[in-house]
Amino acid sequence: MGKPEVKGTVTSLSSMFPPEEVQKAAKMVEEKLSEKQNEMNQLKEFIADNTSLVNLVQKLPDELHHDIMVPFGKAAFFPGGLIHTNEFLVLLGESYYADRTAKQTVEILKRRGKSLMSKVDALKAEMQDLKAEASFFDSTTSEVAEDLVEIKEYEEDNSTERVFQSGPAELESPTLAEADNKMDSKLGASKDDEYARLMSRLDELEKEELAAEDDGENDEDEDEDANATETDGDENELTEAAFQWKKDEGYSSRDHGQRYSECTGLTAEPVTQGEMSHGRIIHQDSKMLNPSINASVPSEKKPVQTSKSEFDSSKAFTGSIVEHTENLEKKIPGQNTTSSESSGSKPSKPVSRFKMQRK
Amino acid sequence: MDSLRQEKLQKFEEFVDRRLKPDLVRAIAERDKVFDQQKIFSDLRKNIETLEKNSVTSLRTLVNLGSEVYTQAEVPDTQRIFVDIGLGFHVEFTWSEALKFISLREEKLKRQIEEYTRLIASIKAQIKLVCEGIRELLQIPEDKTVEGRVF
Repeated sequence: MGKPEVKGTVTSLSSMFPPEEVQKAAKMVEEKLSEKQNEMNQLKEFIADNTSLVNLVQKLPDELHHDIMVPFGKAAFFPGGLIHTNEFLVLLGESYYADRTAKQTVEILKRRGKSLMSKVDALKAEMQDLKAEASFFDSTTSEVAEDLVEIKEYEEDNSTERVFQSGPAELESPTLAEADNKMDSKLGASKDDEYARLMSRLDELEKEELAAEDDGENDEDEDEDANATETDGDENELTEAAFQWKKDEGYSSRDHGQRYSECTGLTAEPVTQGEMSHGRIIHQDSKMLNPSINASVPSEKKPVQTSKSEFDSSKAFTGSIVEHTENLEKKIPGQNTTSSESSGSKPSKPVSRFKMQRK
Repeated sequence: MDSLRQEKLQKFEEFVDRRLKPDLVRAIAERDKVFDQQKIFSDLRKNIETLEKNSVTSLRTLVNLGSEVYTQAEVPDTQRIFVDIGLGFHVEFTWSEALKFISLREEKLKRQIEEYTRLIASIKAQIKLVCEGIRELLQIPEDKTVEGRVF
């Protein structure tokens, strides 16, 4: 597990997402939400007024004359009566008025009501979005409160990032990541930056997929998993897998992407147990990645293609792409122990499920 | 020392922002309301005077049913007018009575406005005072530090 080459940092989530800031953000969203709620209430009032007015306008023509108190300004009344009870003067906007009968006025009012309803619907949609934001912030707050810790491990060789979050003081075994890392390191350090970018995008997509697939995991993990969570692949990857799915997205997607990029060549995807999760993520990503990668892949048939040029801790995909081709088998055993183990196991597995999933 | 000063400064600023400024805003809002009332009554007075001048006995108006939908209304006898005297009561007046009442009302409103104006002025003075205090606190340390740095 702890290889001499592996360096890492442990950062608590609270430092990445300071609780105060998260709370502030949550408050802001709440305020916006309440604003929208007020607007909604106002609109509903308008709608209610409109309907009552429709009723009134329909009732007035029943009599020729209605005795009323006629307002004179805001503070005085005259006793009087309504006449011409079928004629209404309706404001059309911009100081334009129209003389209409009761029926026509009712139609105008109904049309007004419709536009109000559509406004209410639009407002409802906005409120939904705000609520989603608020729930995200709440979950982030609770996570921060739990003292989740983000653990990053760096491999000297490839400067690949393995980032994964562990529960309170739990160290998710870098098993999953290890395998990938190892592979990355083995496969090679530098990849084209473009490749790296593609991979990072792939990682993000994988993460999303993983989040969708993984019911148990919190969505936040993905968000917080800015960095690909890579854990050293150990034989225990499986155990980690579930927890690390999201975390591993980053690297898993990477790995998978790499592997898939090889496409044809990648048969024995080192599908470690841990990577199973990745597989899922990957297979989608691979699809996406493949077209882009294929372009670049042909140019680089080398088994080792890891773009570790940039170690970007903020991205799930650290930029190193490990491509495993047939050469993997050779390299894997040679490079890292753990990775070799994991990688070794991969080729032995039947054509990766990713492939199967992919196809 | 500096931290103490900073604390004091912060407290003063907070006081101004949280207590005095909202107070000022509220007082101004209240005064505006009274202004509106005053305007209503002065308009009413002018209208009644116009009616009297032209000896209008009956008139036609447009009554707003809500949402700017108007209906024609006729007032056959304008001699009687009901005026809102507050607390939900309307009293039947003749024109002259109405005018008398309106002038009484206007005086009361004027007095209210004066009171609000005084209140607003005092709040503004308090804000200025606190700002001056803040400025003093800021200036004095500045002078001292400046002296300290100059060798």
